[in-house]
Amino acid sequence: MQHIPSATSVRKPHRRFGIVRVSVYMAFLLIIASWIYLFIGEQANLAELFSAKNVRYAVQFLSGLAGVGVDHPAFLDIESWKRALALTYQTLQMSLMAIGFATLGMLLTVIPASRVVAGGTESALLRAWNRIVYGLVRAMYVISRSVPELIWAMMIIFFFKPGLLPGAIALALHNFGILGKLCAEVVEDLDMRPIRNLASSGASKAQILIYGIIPAVLPRFLTYILYRWEVIIRTTIVVGFVGAGGLGHEFKLSMSWFHYTDVTLYLLCYLMLVFAVDLISAGLRRWMQ
Amino acid sequence: MSDTAMFAMKQVSKSYGSAYTLHPLNLHISRGELVALIGPSGAGKTTCLNILAGTIEPDAGLLHIAGKPASSYASGKHLAKAVGIIRQQFDLVGSLPVLHNVLAGRLHEWGFGKSLLSFLFPQDKHIAADALNRVGLSDKLYDKTSHLSGGEQQRVALARLLVQQPQAILADEPVASLDPARAEDVLAMLVRLVQEEQLTLVSSLHSVHLARQFFQRIIAIKEGRVFFDLPTADVTEDHITDLYQLTAGHGMDER
Repeated sequence: MQHIPSATSVRKPHRRFGIVRVSVYMAFLLIIASWIYLFIGEQANLAELFSAKNVRYAVQFLSGLAGVGVDHPAFLDIESWKRALALTYQTLQMSLMAIGFATLGMLLTVIPASRVVAGGTESALLRAWNRIVYGLVRAMYVISRSVPELIWAMMIIFFFKPGLLPGAIALALHNFGILGKLCAEVVEDLDMRPIRNLASSGASKAQILIYGIIPAVLPRFLTYILYRWEVIIRTTIVVGFVGAGGLGHEFKLSMSWFHYTDVTLYLLCYLMLVFAVDLISAGLRRWMQ
Repeated sequence: MSDTAMFAMKQVSKSYGSAYTLHPLNLHISRGELVALIGPSGAGKTTCLNILAGTIEPDAGLLHIAGKPASSYASGKHLAKAVGIIRQQFDLVGSLPVLHNVLAGRLHEWGFGKSLLSFLFPQDKHIAADALNRVGLSDKLYDKTSHLSGGEQQRVALARLLVQQPQAILADEPVASLDPARAEDVLAMLVRLVQEEQLTLVSSLHSVHLARQFFQRIIAIKEGRVFFDLPTADVTEDHITDLYQLTAGHGMDER
C-alpha cells in the first residue's frame, strides 16, 4: 500500500497560462501600481509618520507607561498588585462563565442542529418537525455569532447592572453560535461504521451513545471549546470597555484618568492571564491525545 | 427445520429500485460449517450477508437463524447472541482504549447501568484480557485503538467476537484492507478461533486463493444468483474463470 509512487512525481504537462499564474501576476501588478499611486498621486510621505510631533507623543506615552518621573508607579505597589490580581481573577471567572454558558447552550442544541442520517423509521410528521427545529436552531446560531461580542455587551448592559455577568453573557452569546456550528459539523461528520457495528453487537441506543458517539465527538468538542476559551479570554478586555467588569473596565478607566502606570500593571496581568490560559489549554489538549 | 441448520434461506430476495440485487435464493448452512462467499464486486455478497445478519430485511422469503425465524428475534440484544459480525477494520471506536472495544462485545448482556459503570471502571476485565491473549494482543489492553495497525485492529475485532460469544460469525471482507501476509494471518486466526469455539463462519472474500485455503465450502454469487455452491475440493479453475468473466454492462459497478 505504501509504495505506490505519488501522483506528484509524475510530470504534468506544463501549462503556460493557468488561471492561478495569471492571478498571481495580476496581484503583483496591482500592489506595485497601488504603491506608485500612493507616492505620486496622493503625495504620501513616509517621513511624516515619524515627524517630531508624533515621536514626542510616543515617547511621552511610553515613558508614562514605564512610570518615568512618577513617585509611586502602580506596578511597584503591593496594594495595586493585590487589586489588579483580584481583577485578573474576576476576568478569569468571567471567561469561564462565558465558555460554560456557551458550551451548555451548544450541548442542548447540537443534536437537532446536525443533519444526522435518520434510520428512516420515523413518521413524516416527526421528520417535518425535525426539519423545523433544525432550521430554527441553525438560524439562532447564525444570529448569535454574527453579532460581535462588543455589541452584545453594549445591549445587555441595558438589562443588567454593569458587572461580570453581563460580560459573560455577551461573550457566551457570540460564542454559542460559533461553538454550535463547529460542533454540529463534528456530529454530522461522525463515522457511522463503528456505530453500526456496536448496534450489530447488540448495543442499545443508550449504550451506543456512551461507547460510540461520546468518545468519537468529545475530543473534538473539547478542542473547539478550548480554542474558543482562549479567544474569549482575549476578548474579555474588549467587553470590559463598555462596563462589563474585570480587567478591561479598569483598563479603560485608568486610560481616561491618565493613570498610565496602572495601565502598565493591567497589561502585565492581562499578559499573564493569556499566557496561563494558553498553557492550560495546550496542556489539556496534550492530555487528550 | 432440523436442529443442525444455522442459517436457512427460502426464496429470499431483495431489490433496490427495479433491479434485483438478490434473486430468490435458497441457502442452507449447517452448524460448524466454514463457508466462503465469492463473486465479482456488486454481485450481492454483502446484501446476502446483511440479510443473514438481520440488518436488512428481505423483500420476500423466509430466513431462519439458529432454527428460529429471523423476525422472532425481538431485539438486537437477542440477535447478537446468535450472530456476530466482523467487517473491514474501520469498525472500532478509535478514540477508546482496546479494552473498551473488546468489552463492547458484552454490551448485549449488560444493562445501561453496568455499561455506564464499566466505561469508568471496566467490568469483566479478565474476559477481555483472556480474549486479547488468544489473539496475541495481551500487551495492548490499554492502548488507544486508533494507534494499532490494521491487522491488530482486526484482531481486536476478533477478540470482541470472542467476548460476544455468538453461535455464528458473519465476516464481510474481513481482510480486504490488509496486505496479503497480514490478510492470511488474520483469516487463519479467525478460522482457528471459529473451529476452537465450534462456531459457524460465513465470510465474503475477494481472494479466491484465501477462500480455497481456509474454507470447506465455497458459494459463488454472480448478478444476484448462486453461480455455484460446491465443496472447495470440487471447485475448478474453469468455475473461477467463468465466475469472474465480465459480461456486457455488468460486474464493474459497485452494487
